[in-house]
Amino acid sequence: MTRRPRRSAWLLAVPMAALALATIYPLVFTGNVAMKTRHDYILDRFSPTASLHWDNFITAWTSIGLGRYFVNSVIVVASAVALLLLIGSMAGFALSHLRFRGSRALFLCFLAALFIPFQVIMVPLARIMADGGLMDTYPGLILAYVAQFLPFTIFLMTSYYTGIPGEIIDAARIDGNTPYGVYWRVMLPIGRPALLSVGILNALFCWNDVLISLLMMPSAEHRTLMVGVTSLRGQYSDDIPTFASGVLIAALPVLVIYLFFQRQIADGITAGATKG
Amino acid sequence: MPLRGSPPAAHQAGDGWADGTKAKQRTRTAGFGAHGARVRGGRRAERLAPYVLVAPAVLVIVAFRLIPLLMGVNFSFTGDGERDGQAVGPDNYVELFEDPLFGTALRNVGLLVLLLPVAVAIPGLLATFIYLRVPGHRFYRSVYFFPAVLSPVIVGAIFNLLLAFDGPLNAALGNVGIDPVDWLGDPDVAMFTVVGVHVWATFGMALVVFLAGFSTLDSTLLDAARVDGASLPRVIWHVIIPGLSRTIQFVFVTTMIGMLTSMFGLLYVMTSGGPEGSTYLPEYYIWIQQGQMNRPALASAASTVLFLLMLVVGLAQIGLLRRAGREK
Repeated sequence: MTRRPRRSAWLLAVPMAALALATIYPLVFTGNVAMKTRHDYILDRFSPTASLHWDNFITAWTSIGLGRYFVNSVIVVASAVALLLLIGSMAGFALSHLRFRGSRALFLCFLAALFIPFQVIMVPLARIMADGGLMDTYPGLILAYVAQFLPFTIFLMTSYYTGIPGEIIDAARIDGNTPYGVYWRVMLPIGRPALLSVGILNALFCWNDVLISLLMMPSAEHRTLMVGVTSLRGQYSDDIPTFASGVLIAALPVLVIYLFFQRQIADGITAGATKG
Repeated sequence: MPLRGSPPAAHQAGDGWADGTKAKQRTRTAGFGAHGARVRGGRRAERLAPYVLVAPAVLVIVAFRLIPLLMGVNFSFTGDGERDGQAVGPDNYVELFEDPLFGTALRNVGLLVLLLPVAVAIPGLLATFIYLRVPGHRFYRSVYFFPAVLSPVIVGAIFNLLLAFDGPLNAALGNVGIDPVDWLGDPDVAMFTVVGVHVWATFGMALVVFLAGFSTLDSTLLDAARVDGASLPRVIWHVIIPGLSRTIQFVFVTTMIGMLTSMFGLLYVMTSGGPEGSTYLPEYYIWIQQGQMNRPALASAASTVLFLLMLVVGLAQIGLLRRAGREK
């Protein structure tokens, strides 16, 4: 690898470190606020909290109903990701290894669908969902997420499977597997690294979404966690520590996933860049 | 190299890889006749298999993406409210372009286009530093990337606290003798604030893409430049930028798409389009017309304009960058 003269490298490290601090500080500040009592916050919001005041988290979880929203989010995100992986890997396998008429045109169609932003289709989509009785239901929101992130999933699964040598499929066919058997017994296990990467990314996209959820789930008891967080602000404008706790609860799953799967997340994002 | 992993190892669990291959070669000769009849019987099913496998994907994408796209264009030429479903020609578009709020939204898009080079240059420069192995580069990479995985709602909520008039940022500025700024309450400032937060939250994404691009860069060129005694700015200009033209193009397009389509969460949480409508973007306008004003047809017209806008911006950028690449 390249080697720079040491002194200038250390010189660059100064602004880099300052920026890293600026990136971390907002989170630290929020964490500190979340630990304060309301009284302490009003007196002095900056100094490190004198005592760890965990009650705010309990208040946010129970009295605001974040617990309910949390469960809603888990149900919707888990179902959407499972469906995305299943449908996406099936299509990816067919597009990469099975010959059929129109496969290239189909792939280009999927690719084009990647560039349709949700904002452009959301009005008619709301009407389609309402006509189908799917408005304000879990299946409706799950379907909306699947439709939104499927093109990306297919794109990554297809490009991953294209790198798998055809001999493996031939061998499995000769062993007496139908195409479905090849998919289930060979392609799904082989696809694990890609499925993990795409699955985590999709889970983040769905978990973090607010627009689709706002559109599809108007009633309060169906709110997902992110929409729930947006409603916190109004309710708790005079109790900032509880508000901060709610925000941190919503961010915690993402932080945990990030700590464990940072590489897979980065791989999924860059796959689009290097193959596209 | 994206999506690393060792495909062969994951294959056929339980079997050693070398042994598994041999076993397969044996079955290949022995098993062919035995399975022949079944394979022939299932020919039709075999031919249908690819279609069955892609069918769910096709259904979902046609029903929930392609049809809505066409319907939306159609919608935009019909009326709202009492004139629901009636053809009204270009009325919605006329109303749209006479609406000062939509005008602000379009002006703000112009602002985003102007700020785009900055939003691309920051992660590009940081990626260069990280690539050049600044001490602690691994740590910086992890830290910078983290906000990119946070929801805009979380980011917006956190910055609502930080940017409050009596919040920490103004307090810090006060310490060095700068008057407090009303970051989210001043119509002349608020849009810049929101864009700034958006860049803070997303530059890690572009950073990671740049780093992936760097790994494809020919490092001997860099070493040669170094041996010739080229300064860092010259290395960036003559070696890194030409070598990364494809990556830069990709980041330009995706950053622009991100600015046009993923700032809704921030706007919703931080400003609600205010103060005085100064932070409207087309996507927020669409949401308000659809969700609050019950004007789906007008919202569809705005959607169509946004779609065309993205198409034009995307194609123009690709065209410009292509030409710049050829001249080099």
